[in-house]
Amino acid sequence: MALITGLYLAFLFTPIVLLFVGSFGETWTNTLLPSGATLSWYVELWGEGSFRRAFVVSIEVVAATCVFCTLLAVPLAYALYRSASRGVLLAARIVFLLPIAAPPVVLAFGFILVFSSDALPWLGSIWLLIAGHVVLTLPYLLQTLVADMRHLRLDALELAAESLGASLRERFLDVVVPLLRHSLGSGLIMVAALSIGEFQLSNLIAGFLSRPYPVVLLQAFYGATGFACAATVVLLTLALLAAAGGAFAARSASAYRQARR
Amino acid sequence: MSIRLSSVNFRYPSTEFGVFDVDLDIRDGELVAVIGASGSGKTTLLKLIAGFESPDSGRILLDDADVTDLPVRDRRLGVVFQAYALFPHMTAWQNVAYPLKIRKVAPEERYRRAMEALFRVGLKGFEERRPQTLSGGQQQRVALARALVFQPKALLLDEPLSALDASLRGEMRDEIRRLQREFNISTVHITHDQEEALSMADRVAVMERGRLVQVASPRELYDAPATRSVAGFVGEANLWDGTVTAADAVEVPFGVLHVRPGNHAAGQRVAVLVRPENIAVGRLDGGAAVFEGSLVRDRFLGAMRRYDLAVGDAVIRGQTGFRGAIDAVSIRPEHILLLPQ
Repeated sequence: MALITGLYLAFLFTPIVLLFVGSFGETWTNTLLPSGATLSWYVELWGEGSFRRAFVVSIEVVAATCVFCTLLAVPLAYALYRSASRGVLLAARIVFLLPIAAPPVVLAFGFILVFSSDALPWLGSIWLLIAGHVVLTLPYLLQTLVADMRHLRLDALELAAESLGASLRERFLDVVVPLLRHSLGSGLIMVAALSIGEFQLSNLIAGFLSRPYPVVLLQAFYGATGFACAATVVLLTLALLAAAGGAFAARSASAYRQARR
Repeated sequence: MSIRLSSVNFRYPSTEFGVFDVDLDIRDGELVAVIGASGSGKTTLLKLIAGFESPDSGRILLDDADVTDLPVRDRRLGVVFQAYALFPHMTAWQNVAYPLKIRKVAPEERYRRAMEALFRVGLKGFEERRPQTLSGGQQQRVALARALVFQPKALLLDEPLSALDASLRGEMRDEIRRLQREFNISTVHITHDQEEALSMADRVAVMERGRLVQVASPRELYDAPATRSVAGFVGEANLWDGTVTAADAVEVPFGVLHVRPGNHAAGQRVAVLVRPENIAVGRLDGGAAVFEGSLVRDRFLGAMRRYDLAVGDAVIRGQTGFRGAIDAVSIRPEHILLLPQ
């Protein structure tokens, strides 16, 4: 068991370690490890305006995706949880699983068809990119929140709050939202990780000035190995930062509400 | 504040469960325990009073004001739930202060009143603890404080002691009764534990298949149950099938018992009730029926002893402090109650 676990971890982490090592190597051709040590790939990356812009776009898209997902998913999950109708639950399940089942490229073609028309000429805008990311990531957050609501037995707590005089709005803000902070945090980590690494949809619908980092990263693979490694390490760091940021934002929002109490 | 249920009917859709033709008056400051087996409708009755369910017909009145169609939040009733339903993200005092926050009480006043309520339930020093760090009994007290802090019109307790272990249950019974009297608040206490109901309540309502079969004081319920099922449900009982043979005699499977003359006709089939503590050990004279038999079960319980005496094919269950051998028992007429079959 330990051997299998060890092999699996090695399989998982070796590429990441090699990328990290490669990003500091001077040259790397036909050898197990690179030769020489340098920071020049990172300096060169910083000097590339397109990478810098893509980095900022990615952060903007992730932040906006997390905000919109939270605003949509919490009330939606609450409505789904409270819905007694099996038909509504089934329909909702299908609707919010569809973006998971359908490849992002299918969604992208749909976006291109709809948003390249004169009536809706938004193809290439950062807002459309954010909307696409929200559609792709919302189901994951919804699933996490609904599962947590069932686990917490929110219905009993809400009944108690109602008997104490709380209105629907007060129950939602005072009981439901604070109790969901953990699942919201973990759900947003997933949303941030998915959004930061998303390539298929972004590659097809992003405009030249709103290309997120993964789309621009593709160019790096046509250049030097060290440069590609450095660019990928930056994406990895960005994904970790975004995930941590998502979780932190959820906890802070909850802590703010609790402090107000 | 009195609670009145008038001809209340409610049926869960597509089931036979619910409550039917319920009429019940709970007087100001009175504690009424509702008991019954699982599925008898006792929790449904509480849900109807609280407003969690709406009756199909009938009216519910609080101090003569009709609240049948009033939403839960506007009824101003303190409810203590079986699993307490304390908010896990709030501390003990925040839980207690929550109904005051809803009522827009100023933060300082809210804190003061929550602390006072916690003090009254004996939880001074626990105010900053979260529910999950408190014991079952302490959580129960927080739930009680939360249900009482906003001066509700009545208190509804849904099996509040069932999650506690036996040693705590006795203590909490006294505590609930003390608080109920201190606040002089009308209380409906749902429980499946007949001992709990008898020891706490001013009156006990027995439910069976959604209907109230008897509402009486604990003593009356025990001494004069209205039906065979109530007699069997409340306390230990010897219940035998019998046939009235004369104005003062009834035949049971193991012989004839002398009873006080009543208005039962000869030939009428009845249920014969004798409480175990009324079975006298030995052969008494003076009108008592004496039965000889052999002990088939003998349980020593310290201050008393419970035994089963086999008389023919029947068994007489007795309870006594006598420690010697038992080969005969006597049943006096005044200890026999005849109930409808």
